[in-house]
Amino acid sequence: MKRWLFFLALLALAGWWLTRPVGFAPGDVSERTAGHVPDLANGERLFNAGGCASCHGRIEDGKPQRDIMAGGLEMTSPVGTFRAPNISPHPDQGIGGWTALEFLDAMQRGVSPQGRHYYPAFPYASYARMEATDLLDLKAYLDGLPASDHVVGGHELSFPYSLRRGIGLWKRLYLDADPVIEVASGDAVLERGRYLVEGPGHCGECHTPRNFAQAMDPGRWLGGAPNPEGEGRVPNITPGRASFGDWSADDIAYYLESGVDPDFDVVGGSMVAVQENMARLDAADREAIAAYLKALPPVE
Amino acid sequence: MKRTVLIALALLPVSLATASDDPIAQRQDLMSETREALKPLIGISRGQADFDAETVSASLAVFANTAEKAPALFPEGSETGGDTEAKATIWSDRDGFDQRFQDFAEAVAAAQAANIASAEELGPKLQDVLGTCKGCHDNYRVEKE
Repeated sequence: MKRWLFFLALLALAGWWLTRPVGFAPGDVSERTAGHVPDLANGERLFNAGGCASCHGRIEDGKPQRDIMAGGLEMTSPVGTFRAPNISPHPDQGIGGWTALEFLDAMQRGVSPQGRHYYPAFPYASYARMEATDLLDLKAYLDGLPASDHVVGGHELSFPYSLRRGIGLWKRLYLDADPVIEVASGDAVLERGRYLVEGPGHCGECHTPRNFAQAMDPGRWLGGAPNPEGEGRVPNITPGRASFGDWSADDIAYYLESGVDPDFDVVGGSMVAVQENMARLDAADREAIAAYLKALPPVE
Repeated sequence: MKRTVLIALALLPVSLATASDDPIAQRQDLMSETREALKPLIGISRGQADFDAETVSASLAVFANTAEKAPALFPEGSETGGDTEAKATIWSDRDGFDQRFQDFAEAVAAAQAANIASAEELGPKLQDVLGTCKGCHDNYRVEKE
């Protein structure tokens, strides 16, 4: 009996340890960012590539706006309602008071300054692949936007998803900073495209099907998935879908710039906000994304 | 033989009538026409075709016609059927939906009034028009693969 209790206690302890939120070691971050001077133009580029405003923008007429990152967008999912937080530079309601280490822990380790897990609805599983210096540039850009004292309520999730601790296990299995797809090494265009798509652009979060644990399936990367918001599908954007494989790299770049596809259909759904952000990138970045998508392993 | 022909003739008007009375088919045809009209404008703005004022005004006329006729082709009772991509929000937010076609009509009218004379002038006007397409496709259309 005593042995049983001891064993159970040990198991609980192991579980507690395995699921704990783990941030970066401060020394690691300072090493990755040593001597970096924030570049606001690059910060703005990443703000657009990541589509921060599409979730965190203040809500007007039911749509998130680009000017103030006051948060409040509600995202309904089968496990409950998520609310996008205020990421304006307000010191109390926003993230203005955060240190570089706290910002990187949030963006890449999914850990809040209070040491709690964030739900992966916040796509840190993608942002984990970003350069630390890019994240500092992004933070500097966010800090220059207007502050808002808007208070956003918490998520409303059903049990057992309401238990954040379980996310620790999920992270141990699926949080990985390595690239998903191998590209020809030394090909700067493909590497740039991969970085934008797999990292800040977080395209896989909607375009890649998820496994039973709601993690993106690397074996069917960008191969299309059910629409997380309800009806319809998020398309397969690998060359494995005939109707997309026919698009030239030029067609893809033009679609990201204009919202018009080679069949002269105009973009719709959640992709509208994504496309409008992509339109703000440099043409070379859109071309890099197109080159990467053309080079993907086809998913049938 | 005669009887077969008679039956076929008797059925013909009925089948024609169902095709033209079906608002889903009608609005899909209208959207196809709109897409066809967009084609030459994209060609010009991508530099794949030479600028031609007549082509531009013909396309804009098609857009104006779509903006005028489309709202009536989403009556109650046409929420589902065929391979419609219409989203339930069209009927739950009817005013918002109708407003989107109003926005489209206004952007098209502004382009028509601008007497566009070059590909460079077409670019921003076309973007404004496309912005109103997106402004409706984002919340009132179901995205399919």
